[in-house]
Amino acid sequence: MIHDPPPFFHRGPSPLARLTFFSLVAIAIMIADHRFGALEAVRLSLSVLVHPLQQAAAAPAAMLGRLSDYFTSQDRLLKENQELKAKLLEYAADAQKAQLLATEQKHLADMSPGRSRYATDGVLAEMLSYGRNPFTRKLVLDKGLSQGVHSGMPVIDADGVVGQVTAVGTFTSEATLLTEKDQAVPVMLTRNGLRAIAVGSGKDGSIDVPFMPVSADIQNGDLFVTSGIDGTYPPGLVVARVTAVEKNAAYVFAKITAKPAAGVDNHRFVRILTAKRPELPPPLPAGDDKRPVREKAPGKARARP
Amino acid sequence: MRTPADLTPLARDVMKLPAGPGLIIGSLLAAYLFNALPWSGWLLLARPDLVMIVMLFWAVHQPSSVGQGLAFFLGLAMDVNDSMLLGQHALAYVLVAYGAQVIRVRILSFPLGEQTLHVAGLALGATLMILLLNLLLGADFPGVAILLSPVIAAMLWAPISGILYLPGLRRMRRENAS
Repeated sequence: MIHDPPPFFHRGPSPLARLTFFSLVAIAIMIADHRFGALEAVRLSLSVLVHPLQQAAAAPAAMLGRLSDYFTSQDRLLKENQELKAKLLEYAADAQKAQLLATEQKHLADMSPGRSRYATDGVLAEMLSYGRNPFTRKLVLDKGLSQGVHSGMPVIDADGVVGQVTAVGTFTSEATLLTEKDQAVPVMLTRNGLRAIAVGSGKDGSIDVPFMPVSADIQNGDLFVTSGIDGTYPPGLVVARVTAVEKNAAYVFAKITAKPAAGVDNHRFVRILTAKRPELPPPLPAGDDKRPVREKAPGKARARP
Repeated sequence: MRTPADLTPLARDVMKLPAGPGLIIGSLLAAYLFNALPWSGWLLLARPDLVMIVMLFWAVHQPSSVGQGLAFFLGLAMDVNDSMLLGQHALAYVLVAYGAQVIRVRILSFPLGEQTLHVAGLALGATLMILLLNLLLGADFPGVAILLSPVIAAMLWAPISGILYLPGLRRMRRENAS
């Protein structure tokens, strides 16, 4: 029998064995995270631990910014103040109109059993980390389950839709930006009510609107708002403005590119719309005259053996 | 004044005494802070991965303290920092640490210039690993700037080695003086 080496030569498993072990663990973690989303909560709670480090790293730049803010001339501040006042006046009329409409809508809503379609409740969330991942576009926000945030809630800023909450931890959540590849939003053209689906292109600052026929009436500068038919986004939120329409008779579909209205890549505070969206009615089997049958359903069920 | 080229024999003397855990943890923390700066755009793609370089330095010079296990957890921390799928950096770092364990004697027999080339190879391997994983997961190719990252990282090997030698150098001088 071969003698074992003395204990001070003992170095544990060989590097190759370690490599195999750790690689397998890493791959298992990746599969668990990707396939089952099992580690979202783990990652989000780890990000709370990492957050102070990230803030410490960003501190010098933030301090420089604050210093330059401090030395901003009074002149500029006054000008900005004036501009803001003008904007406020401009919006005041809209706000009053909106109030009137909201009252009117409430009356209508009280009369019909359905709830309001326009979400107004929300929580203000601060961005914990920017999408520092070159492959996907995500934000980590400082509100989570304990503040009533759930997966699927829309995230907006002052100018429009930013994205959607895709993972929730106890105190943090992760929002996927509109520009993320394959992130889809049902939209509507404000000019003519044309409905479409806007899909993130995976490139910074642009979304595509695929599968629109060449004959579709879409022009440069048209505004897309959410149509609300998905039951996720409330209707009427500004999404994007068309920047390029390429119509080539050789293809079935036009190539439409739009620019997100919200500052998708630069914001510190966003609003998560937490209002529960009304449940969508179940899809009707066929035809319109099935509705009365469904209302009679309990009776029919009793009649059955 | 020594030129970087003849630092290597000296390095072997300097690193004969094991570095304290304070220096190792401190250097890794500093590297992590560097990686956690608010990078964005193509700068993010070209960001040299200092955590990997510093981890590689310790894996080469002090294999008894820094090995694949630490590399794995550093990788997880980087995944959290970049809000990536968990495990990508962990896999890449473990590969780099394994490479370091296999060729560390060879690396140390060269002066810093040639060491840089070895490091460039390992760093490129790590970058390609992460790139490949993301492409497999359906991401688009993010841009050529991502290939700049291992090159810059390798070029930082010599200065970082110089900085991390300093405490040992000072200790050696002190001992020679007394």
